Amino acid sequence: MNVSTIVTGVILFVLTIMSALFFLGMQSMYTVHIILALAVLKFGGVAFQFMELKKAHAFWKILILSFLFIFTVLVISML
Amino acid sequence: MKAVINYKNIYYPPGGILMWIIIYLELITFGLALLAMVYYSLEEPEVFHNSRLLLNPTYGLINTILLLTSGFFMAATLNEFKEGNNTKKVKKYLLLTILFGILFLVLKSIEYNDKLEAGLTIGYNTFFSFYWMLTLFHVIHVIVGLVIIATVYFGVKKERDTTKIEDVEASAAFWHMCDLIWLLLFPVIYLIF
Repeated sequence: MNVSTIVTGVILFVLTIMSALFFLGMQSMYTVHIILALAVLKFGGVAFQFMELKKAHAFWKILILSFLFIFTVLVISML
Repeated sequence: MKAVINYKNIYYPPGGILMWIIIYLELITFGLALLAMVYYSLEEPEVFHNSRLLLNPTYGLINTILLLTSGFFMAATLNEFKEGNNTKKVKKYLLLTILFGILFLVLKSIEYNDKLEAGLTIGYNTFFSFYWMLTLFHVIHVIVGLVIIATVYFGVKKERDTTKIEDVEASAAFWHMCDLIWLLLFPVIYLIF
């Protein structure tokens, strides 16, 4: 098995546990921002490592990053 | 034999251009629906907060881990297939991908059963209308993804295997798309309201 796949898997697992811990342990005004930031990191990990978007043409990378950026900014600005 | 595809070509992203068009359309669809959900939460903040408290985030967390584990084994499948390694490992990883996908569906069914028994149906309130529509639409994608992966598994299992790298890449891309959608659904539905 590829080392980068294993590392990505472990990081995604840790990020998921972290978002759960933040949710349970810290109810501040920034909890939503932290949870969304962790979700964005996980999204990037899956897209760029598991889906191998890192190997793709810049067009596809920019497209997915733009979607992620617009979605996150709109959610945060509405809350 | 190692497969060589020039992914830097704009027309050949890993998984194929048609699959990536589907992925972007799906992300936009779910993204807009989630934004609509956040928008409606501004009109009924108490309803959304109280309804969110009726969900069990532990189910959502375990489901996230199950889907990510499944995606991890799908990525491992693709690595082995690309390296041209024996089909034993490929088959093993594909079966693990399917197993964790099925576990996701089992847990989702338990969650749905809890909600139905508590009377939290699609018409209960605005929050649950979004909850049912978004999560059920995602579950349909997971079921379709499992059928695709099972098809690849039976193709690889055949004595005269004709499965191409493009087939495995496209199915992996579809399966990971289910991960991506869930990674957006989980924080918005289960955590932020």
